[in-house]
Amino acid sequence: MHPTDEIILSLDKINKSYDDRIVLHEISLDVKKGEVVVVIGPSGCGKSTLLRCINGLEPIQNGRIRLNDQTITDVGTDWTKVRQHIGMVFQSYDLFPHMTVIENILLGPIKAQKRSKKEVEAQAELLLERVGLLDRKTAYPRQLSGGQKQRVAIIRALCMNPDIMLFDEVTASLDPEMVREVLDVMLQLAKSGMTMIIVTHEMAFAKAVADRVLFMDNGYIVESGKPEEFFNAPQTQRAKKFLNQFKFSENREDEA
Amino acid sequence: MLDTGIKVLFEGNNITRLLDGLWVTTRIALISVILSVFFGTIIGIGWSSRFRIIHVFARFYLEIMRIMPILVLLFLFYFGLTRIAHINLNAEMASIIVFTLWGTAEMSDLVRGALTSLPKHQKESGLALGLKSFDIYFYILVPQAIRRLLPATINLTTRIIKSTSLVVLIGVVELLKVGQQIIETASLLRNQTAAFWVYAVIFLLYFIICYPISQLSFHLEKKWQS
Amino acid sequence: MITLKKKILSLVLSFIASVGMGFSHQTNAAGFNTLDQIKKNGKIRIGVFSDKPPFGYVDSNGKNQGYDVYLAKRLGKDLFGDENKVEFVLVEAASRSEFLLSDKVDIILANFTKTPERAEKVDFAKPYMKVSLGIVSPDNAKITSIDQLKGKKLIVNKGTTAEIYFTKNYPDIKLLKYDQNTETFNALLDGRGAALAHDNTLVFAWATQNKGFTVGINSIGDHDMIAPAVAKGNTTLLNWINDEITKLDKERFFHADYEATLKPIYGDKVDPESVVIEGDTH
Repeated sequence: MHPTDEIILSLDKINKSYDDRIVLHEISLDVKKGEVVVVIGPSGCGKSTLLRCINGLEPIQNGRIRLNDQTITDVGTDWTKVRQHIGMVFQSYDLFPHMTVIENILLGPIKAQKRSKKEVEAQAELLLERVGLLDRKTAYPRQLSGGQKQRVAIIRALCMNPDIMLFDEVTASLDPEMVREVLDVMLQLAKSGMTMIIVTHEMAFAKAVADRVLFMDNGYIVESGKPEEFFNAPQTQRAKKFLNQFKFSENREDEA
Repeated sequence: MLDTGIKVLFEGNNITRLLDGLWVTTRIALISVILSVFFGTIIGIGWSSRFRIIHVFARFYLEIMRIMPILVLLFLFYFGLTRIAHINLNAEMASIIVFTLWGTAEMSDLVRGALTSLPKHQKESGLALGLKSFDIYFYILVPQAIRRLLPATINLTTRIIKSTSLVVLIGVVELLKVGQQIIETASLLRNQTAAFWVYAVIFLLYFIICYPISQLSFHLEKKWQS
Repeated sequence: MITLKKKILSLVLSFIASVGMGFSHQTNAAGFNTLDQIKKNGKIRIGVFSDKPPFGYVDSNGKNQGYDVYLAKRLGKDLFGDENKVEFVLVEAASRSEFLLSDKVDIILANFTKTPERAEKVDFAKPYMKVSLGIVSPDNAKITSIDQLKGKKLIVNKGTTAEIYFTKNYPDIKLLKYDQNTETFNALLDGRGAALAHDNTLVFAWATQNKGFTVGINSIGDHDMIAPAVAKGNTTLLNWINDEITKLDKERFFHADYEATLKPIYGDKVDPESVVIEGDTH
């Protein structure tokens, strides 16, 4: 499915700094409905911070973020409302350990969105079935593998019916053999037309899933373009250098 | 000597008196613990929040409760309050207030510690789901904190139970005092060494109330382990 | 550290005071019940010991007994015609004055020795008993004079007249101190000290029951007077108690009290006149 022309999220010259250290410089970005934007870059480049600013976990110093044509960075923004439209999945396993899988999924829709349990549960079961976890519905997070936990975390965010999904290095903490099952779910999601911003180090996945790739370094968006262009012919020295680091491991994989 | 001592236990209503004493001990401790958990959780949540004024207040309150010996507090609330403010509390009420104040302070510190030790991502996941602060605390953070707190809370409970023996000094007759009454009366009036047997029974009675508590905590810990 | 504690204490006190003012006053401004108020209340609160036999203790049926209690019951009977109108409040030695100062009891009848320091805080009525110190020791190493105690350990109870007397007058005698009577006497049985000093009434009683121990010194120190105490300024109650004691003296009530509560313990070894105050002793 191809992105439409409708702009769903718009960042206009946002600046973010911790004390006197600037982590995001004048970032501007428009994301269209149905578009999958992959953000890559060395660690500490500001890509995770970017996601955290979009759903208000970090305040920005200036600039403007608009979601569905509404400015969400004004003073007095009700972030609890805004976040119901933005799904987010983190790197660390962030399921609530004292709740079962289904309780984890139901909490947001029922408590924040005041939807009926019956309706959400039906939706949750459908989604769980799609990722092959319906039989783990009443399991506790400690009984799940890392990959299963991240799939549940994705479904938990999806059940809020968000307009956009943010993925913050969701496979970075996983054992290698579990990475695939999570990426498959994300790929499926992308095909279904979900708008997504994905921060990742999985270059092959980025190439496969992205409509657009952003390369960030030192708080700047250094490069932006279609994945085949970016991966085959990066424009900047910094991007080339960054991509080269992955060549070695890819070559090794090819040999194997 | 030992077998004449054991007879003392079965004289008159001595057994019933010891059980009554146990009930007084349990009543004071239990009410105090329940109130402490309730108020301590509220203050602990406030303390873990970003409101500076609550930090200052909670810290100050905890320090006072730690510096002040329980005995001073008991005297203050039983005798002092009447002299200063003409509020005449009965001794048991004064005891419950003091143990609640102390327990609340300790509990709030435990709750604060447990909440701040939870991974930051737990709170952020809640925020990302669009939950309000209250819901995040009520459904996500506090239930997890309580599980972490359990051993320390049980420890506090047994500390409160043991400290209730101080209330004799404001005239509350609890388990240990009944024991002393029986021992003093028996040994000075009839030269019987009741002490060994009476203390054995008191030990047993304390054990009877403390053991189920530790069993319960063991059971819950097992159930909640993650 | 001490001054910090004091500062915090005064802070807390003033805080409590300010909070407390908001509540209704349950105690009258004077801080005590006058005789009329007690009559109106229909009961009198008397502070007694619960673990100091034979003066104030609780028997195995949970009933208050002893020399002090015997008097307390009589006061209740004379005031209300019913000794059950006495509400016994169980007190601890260290805080007896406090119970009066904070209006927890109307009268203290807990072997309360009259001292100048205490008389500044509370009002003592006429005495109903007298006591001095006695020293009990093992027969095989009998202590008959205080000189024999030099360099040895003497066992006493914390906060009692014995502790105060020896600390003040014989600082070179080493004291071993305990809280409960039982502990104190057990220490002597275990040989942890050469002798034990306590109220002579108590050591007499104990020596009769423990073979191998004798009271070698019958009476040292001053004769202390034991009297009922009421809150400072509670004149109506004080006068009534004084009238009562005068009346009871005439009917030799305290001798009857001695026969009923102390004699079963002391046996014939002790002269009642060394304990009971009656008639012209006032």
